[in-house]
Amino acid sequence: MSEKEKASDQTEIYKPELFSTTPHPHLIAGRCKSCRKYTFPKYYACPFCFSDDLEDSPLSPTGILHSFTIVRRSFPAYPVPYGLGLVDFPEGVRVMAQIETDKPEELKLDMKMGITVGPIRKGKDGKDILSYKFRPLS
Amino acid sequence: MKDVYILGVGTTACGKFPEKGAHILGREAAWAAIKDAGIHPRKIEIAFCGHVYQGMGVGQRTLKEIGLVGQPTVNVEGACGSGTLAFWEAWRTIAYGQYDVALALGVENLSRILSGGPLPLEEDDIEVFMGMGMPSLYAMRAKRYMEEYGVTAEQLAKVVVKSRKHAALNPIAQFRKETTIEGVLKSPMIADPLTRDQCCPVGDASAAAVLCSGELVDKLATKKPIKVLGCVAQSGKYTSPTKLTCDPSENVSRTSGMAYEMAGLGPEDMDVAEIHDAFSIAEMIVCEALGFCEKGAGARLIDEERTSLGGDIVVNPSGGLLSRGHPVGATGLLQTAEIVWHLRGEAGKRQVEGAKVGIIETMGGAQPAMDGVTCVVSILGV
Repeated sequence: MSEKEKASDQTEIYKPELFSTTPHPHLIAGRCKSCRKYTFPKYYACPFCFSDDLEDSPLSPTGILHSFTIVRRSFPAYPVPYGLGLVDFPEGVRVMAQIETDKPEELKLDMKMGITVGPIRKGKDGKDILSYKFRPLS
Repeated sequence: MKDVYILGVGTTACGKFPEKGAHILGREAAWAAIKDAGIHPRKIEIAFCGHVYQGMGVGQRTLKEIGLVGQPTVNVEGACGSGTLAFWEAWRTIAYGQYDVALALGVENLSRILSGGPLPLEEDDIEVFMGMGMPSLYAMRAKRYMEEYGVTAEQLAKVVVKSRKHAALNPIAQFRKETTIEGVLKSPMIADPLTRDQCCPVGDASAAAVLCSGELVDKLATKKPIKVLGCVAQSGKYTSPTKLTCDPSENVSRTSGMAYEMAGLGPEDMDVAEIHDAFSIAEMIVCEALGFCEKGAGARLIDEERTSLGGDIVVNPSGGLLSRGHPVGATGLLQTAEIVWHLRGEAGKRQVEGAKVGIIETMGGAQPAMDGVTCVVSILGV
């Protein structure tokens, strides 16, 4: 049983189809079998060539932090503060996700980021909902 | 394509009016626009009502208050661009010859659903579920923009200082008190680097415009008619991985480029602009996309006071979204009314002297892989 499946026994996981923790944490994009371009997430038809022949395709485990913010006021289900970032992956997609870090002051534009899994918000029952997040790689 | 004119505009004040439903605000603005046009209400053949959060049939609910029943009434939603999308619908139904007289209305009561904090967004969008609000999206744009172009927090704050200064002269503005760079930067941090005063407020209002065809304008006009020289609506394109954050918005560039072409004019011909400054950074990015300055030069426009009253391209003399207010579905028609007042010479203390041509830009929504949901650009002239 993978780590992700174990966690899902007790915890709500948001969009489990968009990431995997094995063999190492990474995101799962869509890739067009016709024009070979990537999108995140996978769409129903390719926005570049309109082919509907799309496949799941793993993204590189690391990307570059294009921009970020520390959110200090948010929607009720989101404990503040939290980091939110845009990361560019070598496959040509930019993904937005929360950033897991104890030291937000050490975040810098263009730094290398990896993927991790952690709480992103509270569910209706008040319990954490988990999903993919970025983490700074030093 | 037929010529289209604006015969009249009307608005409510902007502010928090939880006791007034959208239909109460809406009837006031629609009636004011019809009175301003000086036509009999029955001349209106079709109505479009822009809104975001006001529920089923809000246009019909509003217009029955003033006897405008029976005609087709179309409720229009395009996120924060809903009001100008309703205007675009009214323009095109006349331009393409289906009707001759149309009402464009925008209504929103936000204070009934929200006391403060970020605008509720659609949780089916992954990024929204991940915790993205409009302030945090613009904060990321600001962060990258500041780094790329060496823009400072003080320069961002100057956008708000200018906005409040203009709004102090606007009787319908939500915030009419002038502020300082220090005051803006000392307000609570919402999402770094954007402080509260760099984010548009929660507010309520309505605004409306009466449009007619060139064939009827001489017969119907009681005031100086304002010609719609260009009007274009476009959706965002799939932009990842293009530079979503710091480049001038592709959507605004594309839409305004088409509107300039339709009008046969360029950015240098614009005397006054009402643009979508939902956040301080937005004004800089949009000024670049509209061609008022080079890429990365948005802060210099502010520093040189070229966009302040008295400058060569006055941006947001109303105070814009930051200070006049941003009652989402009403915003586009509030902007339109402001430009009409300037072109008629009716803008009071904030009048841009001799304004002959004005531009309106509205940007709706956050679709992170797309550059906005809806962009509408109109160019008006006398």
